[in-house]
Amino acid sequence: MASSVPSLPATKRFGLTSVQQREARNFLSALLYMAPSLALFITFVFIPLVRSFVLSTYLTDPIGRPAAFVWFLQYQRLFNTDVFLNSLLRSTQFVLYTVPITILLSLGLALLGNLRLPRIAIYRIMFSVTIAVSGATASLMFMYLYHPTVGSLNYFLELLKLPAVPWLVSDKTALFSVAMVSVWLQMGLNTVILLAAMQGIPEEIYESAMIDGANSWQKFWNITLPFLSSTFFFLLVVDMLASFQTFTPIHVMTSGGPADSTNLLVFSIYREFYFNGKYGYAAAQSIMLFLIMLILTIFQFVFVERKVYYE
Amino acid sequence: MKKVPYFLFVLVVVFSMLVTACGPTATPTPKAEPTKAQEPTKAPVATKAPEATKAPEATKAPEATKAPEPTKPPAATATAVPPTAVPTATIAPAKAGATKIAFWHSMGGDIGGKAIPQMANEFNASQDKCHVNPIYQGSYDDSLNKLKAGLQSKDTPAVVQLFDIGTRQMIDLKVITPVQNYIDKEKYDISDLEQNVLAYYTVDGKLNSMPFNTSNPMLYYNKDMFKAAGLDPAKPPRTFDEFKAAAAKLTKKDASGKVTVYGANFAIYGWFFEQFLAVSGAYYVDNANGRDKFATKAVFNGPEGVKILTWWKEMLDAGTMMNTGRQTVNMRNAFLAQQTAMIIESTATLRGLLDGSAGKFELGTAFLPRPDEAAFTKSGTIIGGASLWIINNRPQAEQDCAWEFIKFQASPKQQAYWHTMSGYYPIRKAAYNEPLDKEWTAKYPQFQTAIDQLHAAPNNRYTQGGLIGVFPTARQTIETAIEEVLGGKSTPQQALDKAAKSVTDAIVEYNLTMGLK
Amino acid sequence: MSRKTRRILTNIFLYIVLTIAGLIVIFPIYYAIDVSLLTDTEVATYPPKLIPTSFNIESYALALQQAPLARYLFNSVFQSLLVMMGQLITAGLAAYAFAFIEFRGRNVFFLVFLATMMIPWEATIIPNYLFIKQLEWTDTFQGLAVPFMATGFGTFLLRQFYLKIPKDLHDAAVIDGCSSFRFLTTIVVPLARPAFGTLAVYSFLQTYNQYLWPLLITNDEMMRTVQIGLSLLQDEERMKFNIVMAGVVLVLLPTIVLFIFSNRQLIRGLTAGAVKG
Repeated sequence: MASSVPSLPATKRFGLTSVQQREARNFLSALLYMAPSLALFITFVFIPLVRSFVLSTYLTDPIGRPAAFVWFLQYQRLFNTDVFLNSLLRSTQFVLYTVPITILLSLGLALLGNLRLPRIAIYRIMFSVTIAVSGATASLMFMYLYHPTVGSLNYFLELLKLPAVPWLVSDKTALFSVAMVSVWLQMGLNTVILLAAMQGIPEEIYESAMIDGANSWQKFWNITLPFLSSTFFFLLVVDMLASFQTFTPIHVMTSGGPADSTNLLVFSIYREFYFNGKYGYAAAQSIMLFLIMLILTIFQFVFVERKVYYE
Repeated sequence: MKKVPYFLFVLVVVFSMLVTACGPTATPTPKAEPTKAQEPTKAPVATKAPEATKAPEATKAPEATKAPEPTKPPAATATAVPPTAVPTATIAPAKAGATKIAFWHSMGGDIGGKAIPQMANEFNASQDKCHVNPIYQGSYDDSLNKLKAGLQSKDTPAVVQLFDIGTRQMIDLKVITPVQNYIDKEKYDISDLEQNVLAYYTVDGKLNSMPFNTSNPMLYYNKDMFKAAGLDPAKPPRTFDEFKAAAAKLTKKDASGKVTVYGANFAIYGWFFEQFLAVSGAYYVDNANGRDKFATKAVFNGPEGVKILTWWKEMLDAGTMMNTGRQTVNMRNAFLAQQTAMIIESTATLRGLLDGSAGKFELGTAFLPRPDEAAFTKSGTIIGGASLWIINNRPQAEQDCAWEFIKFQASPKQQAYWHTMSGYYPIRKAAYNEPLDKEWTAKYPQFQTAIDQLHAAPNNRYTQGGLIGVFPTARQTIETAIEEVLGGKSTPQQALDKAAKSVTDAIVEYNLTMGLK
Repeated sequence: MSRKTRRILTNIFLYIVLTIAGLIVIFPIYYAIDVSLLTDTEVATYPPKLIPTSFNIESYALALQQAPLARYLFNSVFQSLLVMMGQLITAGLAAYAFAFIEFRGRNVFFLVFLATMMIPWEATIIPNYLFIKQLEWTDTFQGLAVPFMATGFGTFLLRQFYLKIPKDLHDAAVIDGCSSFRFLTTIVVPLARPAFGTLAVYSFLQTYNQYLWPLLITNDEMMRTVQIGLSLLQDEERMKFNIVMAGVVLVLLPTIVLFIFSNRQLIRGLTAGAVKG
């Protein structure tokens, strides 16, 4: 009740000044507003994070009941067997495949979508439609495109007189093939955000550049790109985080194979606990994933953000 | 005792607080407040008061409206079912008073969509006490994982179909009622059951689950292509060397050197490796495949295992072996599309392949190739497949019904029906004498090969197959090893050594956490 | 060449480029539709048929028959609506605290909210999975929805919009005796409707497209969501891609339609937060 009281006189009660009282009241009412979110975050984010860590110090039986406390043995195992190191390497490789390609292709699409032409809205919807596509459906679609015997991608290559590619069948191409699904899925959101950022660039800057005799390339290089730098930074963070957490295409298309070449971190976590019943080991992996993401985010904010241009 | 989700409780409390916090607007006393000395102290009280008074309500509210009834069978949790929901196969509704049991299975396609529902319907119609509801749970791996997941929440079926390689884990998890208990109690006669099949599921002298569907792999080949390549379609290859030579002859290239027809295609499937290993007369794990005493390490990396992968890789390198990945369906499609002349596949797919090849080419079947002629007498294929388990955390009445259903499906008539619908062997010899079955084998002589292969296999520790708790993991590890070899990343010996080490680690951890000493 | 013809030619060229780019982007979707309309034999032949000739709609009937897709669709939509409502409420409330109430530790709490965006869901998935099992919430809608009902991103998004509402309005309303909660429901929420709309669409799409969580906690055939249910069409015994693609198209349809109708709103809302960020 008290939280809605607008003002209080400047008398002292219970040794609190009115300012302190107001602070206390504000704090309580703020807490009230945040309570539903906080309750959920505590229950489903923070406590589980701690429990993940606790679980990672145990050996468990195949249905997740702790069997023996083993200190940091699981972490030691992570670094002693090449499975985890392989996952780490593959995930990094995956990020390196997806993020730059996604951003570059989206930049291209956004530039096209930014043209002042009648009916451009239709093209913008086409370019961004993958926002609405789920990982599961995209993976199934690409599985057929990549199909070793009836896939149409190999048919297109054949038309171009190029040799067939063993997309998902070979351990040399599978990761790239899966990465392309992620690129396609992420492209929609990236294009939309870049497009919006481009539309936010003040028109006058281009006009004055035109007066100075700048050509389109110069305008792109000297105005558009610098203006987009903070957007690129944002996309870099979002895409990297998304890319590191890729799961669905792996589960649907490759199950981590061939030869573990697509055994990305999150899939590895899933496989170790859900399939192999190694809950402790998987929990250790998930803690590592958390640390990596944390470091990446901090690193990006500290080192990359400084270099980007701000309006 | 049901658990009260405490955050739901918190949520209810919080919302009630918000609502009460808004209350004062109705009472126009904002400016009169200052005179009431105790007002500020009410703030903290107010936050607690609703908690104290509403707590009992709050704890009940979510329970009554939302919490699932754990005692009900899983299907009952779907309270908000829209009327349009129709399951894949139609199961006749239960008779009044019948005990309802859930039956999880992993049979996709027509077998799961038609044969299983029909079997269930016949069972339900045959008596009044029990009603079985079959639920497709995806692959065997999915089903096992879901079962493990469901154990703690009692979200389990009364009867579940699981693959052979889940046997050890099911026993060690102590979640099953061995069918032996019922066999002993009722003096149920199992002498007519296939001995090799019984031997697989008998552990520590007890039959733990009732075999349901049994199959093993054999060689399927395109007789027309054999003729065209100058090979005798009546004499399919028997040994690895013969197979390799035939594959080379069957491979066709176009003018540009591109392969148009591959001699052979093996899906990267751990089961094939296990079978090749068994027919080579080698163990998968120590202690005689974990049958004399529980296994402690993987031993599939011996010369026999290396020979299999070397042979496979040589054909791939020679361009006579096609690789379409892990999915066997891709291999079958390539075979049916006549892009490959020979495949290794389960006897269970015989009916599908017969239907698929009809009108296109003549289908041949033969024994699984062996490393040499001598191997044909020494060992044979593993008699696996899947079996039915009774889960012991279900009420006694459900377990009894599960046993009734198990007996029903094991009857000669049902086994004969099962046999003709799928291609899985009947688990009971009498089924071969059923008119339905006789008709089927007469119509499709190809199936005689499968039956011969089953009966040719001696009953020994090789053909009983490995018995380890981490078999699903091991199978996957082997698949990775095969891919490493085929991709040229490792030699067969390196890949198998690495896989064996990894499987041994898993076995050791399993034995430790399950208290096997 | 006159300036005008030159411009027309440039425009034609640009349209060609735009169309090619657009077609490449939507090709997988087009192809899924194409394949879903092929017959069993057409789908297994090489070279692939890039244009449907027989318009065989039987696959859709078979897809619906082979898996209870209607039920899955209902599950997904219901789960998504629950999550959406939950997020709108929790984020709508929390954002109010951040935008209108000055309290000690506001920055700390705000950081806590933002931190939830940095903690990958997968890092907490095992305990969450065990917890939901312990609550016996597997195969229930609350199990599918409750863990996602709070959102750091949504709180951030709404806060940005709330901040645009003049603070004077708040002060005046409070002095008039309107409780802060009433101020929120009667003034803030209507004003921030576009932001709520954006969050609603965004959280709906996100939840509808979820995969790993429903995969873990739904065992019951009738409780699966569409994304998981699709795998039922992809069965090992006889994978028929025309049926699989028919299922894909059916599952895609609701989100694509939602996207086409709400894309302006969604894009404006999303980018307002992102571009400034």
